[in-house]
Amino acid sequence: MTAITAAGAYAPRFRISAEAFEEAWGQFQAAGVSEKAVPAADEDALTMGYEAASRALEAADLDGEDVSWLGFGTATPPLENEDLTARLGAMLALPNGATRQLFTGSTRAGTRALWAGMDAIEADGGLALVVAADAPRGKPDDAIDHAAGAGAAAFVLERDGPARIVDRAEYATPYPGTRFRNAGDRETEGLGITQYDRRAFTETIGGAVAGLEIDPAPEAAAVQAPDGKLPYRAAGTAGVGTDEIRACATVHDLGNLGAASVPVSLARAIAAGHDSILGVSHGSGAGADAIVVESAGDVPANTALKDGDALTYAEYLRQRGVVTSGPPSGGGAYVSVPSWRRSLPQRYRLEAGRCPDCGAFAFPPEGICDDCGAREGYEPIDLPGEGTIEAVTTISQGGAPPEFAEQQAKSGDYAAAIVALDVDAGDETVSVPVMGTDAAPAAFSVGDRVETTTRRIYTQEGVTRYGFKIRPS
Amino acid sequence: MTDAFLVGAGQSGYGAFPEESYRSLFRTAFDATTESVPKGLMASEIDEAFVGTLGVGGRQLGLSGPAVTEHVGLDGVPCTRVENACAASGFAVRQAVQAVKSGMADVVLAGGFEVMSDMSSDATKYWLGVSGETEWERLSGTTFAGVYAQMASAHMERYDTTRKQLSRVAVKNHANGAKNPHAQLGFECSLDEAQSAPTVAEPLNLYHCCPTSDGAACALIVSEDVVDEYTDDPIRVAGVGAGSDSVGLFQRDSYVGVPASERAAEAAYDMAGLTPEDLDFAEVHDCFAIAELLAYEDLHFCEKGEAGALVESGATALDGDLPVNTSGGLKSKGHPIGATGAGQVVEAFKQLSGEAGERQVENPVRGLTHNVGGSGGAAVVHIFEKETAVSA
Repeated sequence: MTAITAAGAYAPRFRISAEAFEEAWGQFQAAGVSEKAVPAADEDALTMGYEAASRALEAADLDGEDVSWLGFGTATPPLENEDLTARLGAMLALPNGATRQLFTGSTRAGTRALWAGMDAIEADGGLALVVAADAPRGKPDDAIDHAAGAGAAAFVLERDGPARIVDRAEYATPYPGTRFRNAGDRETEGLGITQYDRRAFTETIGGAVAGLEIDPAPEAAAVQAPDGKLPYRAAGTAGVGTDEIRACATVHDLGNLGAASVPVSLARAIAAGHDSILGVSHGSGAGADAIVVESAGDVPANTALKDGDALTYAEYLRQRGVVTSGPPSGGGAYVSVPSWRRSLPQRYRLEAGRCPDCGAFAFPPEGICDDCGAREGYEPIDLPGEGTIEAVTTISQGGAPPEFAEQQAKSGDYAAAIVALDVDAGDETVSVPVMGTDAAPAAFSVGDRVETTTRRIYTQEGVTRYGFKIRPS
Repeated sequence: MTDAFLVGAGQSGYGAFPEESYRSLFRTAFDATTESVPKGLMASEIDEAFVGTLGVGGRQLGLSGPAVTEHVGLDGVPCTRVENACAASGFAVRQAVQAVKSGMADVVLAGGFEVMSDMSSDATKYWLGVSGETEWERLSGTTFAGVYAQMASAHMERYDTTRKQLSRVAVKNHANGAKNPHAQLGFECSLDEAQSAPTVAEPLNLYHCCPTSDGAACALIVSEDVVDEYTDDPIRVAGVGAGSDSVGLFQRDSYVGVPASERAAEAAYDMAGLTPEDLDFAEVHDCFAIAELLAYEDLHFCEKGEAGALVESGATALDGDLPVNTSGGLKSKGHPIGATGAGQVVEAFKQLSGEAGERQVENPVRGLTHNVGGSGGAAVVHIFEKETAVSA
């Protein structure tokens, strides 16, 4: 048996309303979506997965080193060829020997990761971390893009716990052409054959639910939601009512979360304290997964799904890079990939150093000790990721170094600060230069408290470098 | 140990010169320098050369010193390129003084050049940031405008320095630059204009930032043994001081000052046996308005935190007690990175020779030059003292 022992969820701070689309296009093609989440220019499935996963671990009061199995599911990986679980695991400080698996290929990838996590727990015990994140995108005039939201969820799985997964079943049958993205394309498309698409959806969902041994009577049903109408059309075949679907729906306020659709709804249902939950995903291909969760007590959950800042449609196009022209020619600061990799303990985990001679702290932990001149090297110490702004500026449009010009074109002015990061013990701090995110630049002033998170920093030679940024605490 | 003397200095105009190359600009500066020597000087009399340049654009990154000295006819003269970012030729002048004082050379050329206007704005931004700390500071999204803006934020927070005081630096330096035929932005600006310009990096606006410039400048430093061959009114290098520090602002002890400047100034005052009260004028490194205010404090023109009030009082205006940046400074005269330090010495030479025209300070005897690399990773200060007073 496998149980969910903690849950985390995350949605980016930006929202765009159905009205904003209507104003731009004369119509909004995503029925039942009133507004949706939009990833910032420095976010992708990996950073959103990190946000949800770190929240799940925090809710569980666990550290990355406690995790023995990591699964990451997304239909929109920022790289098609490179296993993102190595980076995600490092950002979460997992042991290098932990098992990692990546799931992609359809919006079913999130529940596929959950499946594999359950298999791992049932076979070997231990502690599994399942992460699902997605940020679908379509052609701007296509219903897929109108519905496309962004979000992530993560679950801690163990053999025993308050929310037991008591049954599961899956179903697959070929339905080509409903939702696909050919190799090399950025945008997902579909042929849009209405009745055929609906049948692919309802047949697979019905098939998976029919395969369950128990007859579910859930308080909440987390049903795949490509738009705001389809999950309700599948209510009958899934054997649930529309109220149960609505109880934990995410599509109405966050949009189509793709591979994170069912996971985020499931996290929402768990956080709301529902005792019996049915989860049914659907992915093009087509296939579906059904799980039944029975809860005997509260599950620790940390969800950050509240709405934030509204975007106009023009701002939406900018954030998504639809109307920006890409990085400028003329070069940027060159930090070789091997140099960058050497600094990953600092970039991902804020690993500072303590001088073994005098106890002074250093970040990055290199060079001789500034305080006593010792040359012995530093004892590593991870910082908790909170601090106080010592100096700050807002870099106006056109003032960014070329390697940040594209990000600035997408997201506008940004704050650049020097922050005194807390060291766990005592009043000491270490100072670091760092970019602001997740809030307008005016939200960062000298003396303000901030916390760190992980975001895209910049891309050079085709390799995106991730590292820490700050946001208001 | 012999004393070192400044016997000549000259520069090209600063600005954008699409018809000029870095070599032709250097030649203009070199010719102006030899012509400025009161009793004349032949290229063949030069023993050694130090040339400062960052290498913006990458046009001649290696051996960029000989590339210009050979062009002006210093055939075979040993030449060393000096790189300390925006302080490159300030340090070239210091190398020249050291060469003379060591006794290894009698006549040494120190100069610098930069061409910054012939690239796309993106390429310029790339080069403008290369002297910041790359792996952390720059990758937090800053170029130097951002880093100096951070210093301004800390100074404003600690000492209640105001944006208006920053703008007064621009107004003062433009007023001086309008009187300098070599200035790139040789026009006056009003306090209103200097307060309402577009923001570059909060709290710094366009008028708080120096331009990018093409230009070259040179100075001639000679020994006590030969100084009489070149002038009857010798200008002695009374004090030299230099300092270095961490390249990244975040790695330093203070964000509200430039510790390297303070170290350099204290060493120079100490060597000269002088105090700031003895100075008649100063050329300071005002790449951004906040940098001039920080310089007032680091060079001990005023107490910590009082620089805003000092500029507001008019004490550093052309007719004030201690005129600062009579040339227009980096703000109005321009900032061709590698030429800037030597260019400050050109102004000191003109003032002390009574050749500063409309911006001439009355009978100056002692002047200071202050040149900073990056946001304070290196700084160099020179104090020049005229042996006899000039009548202007």
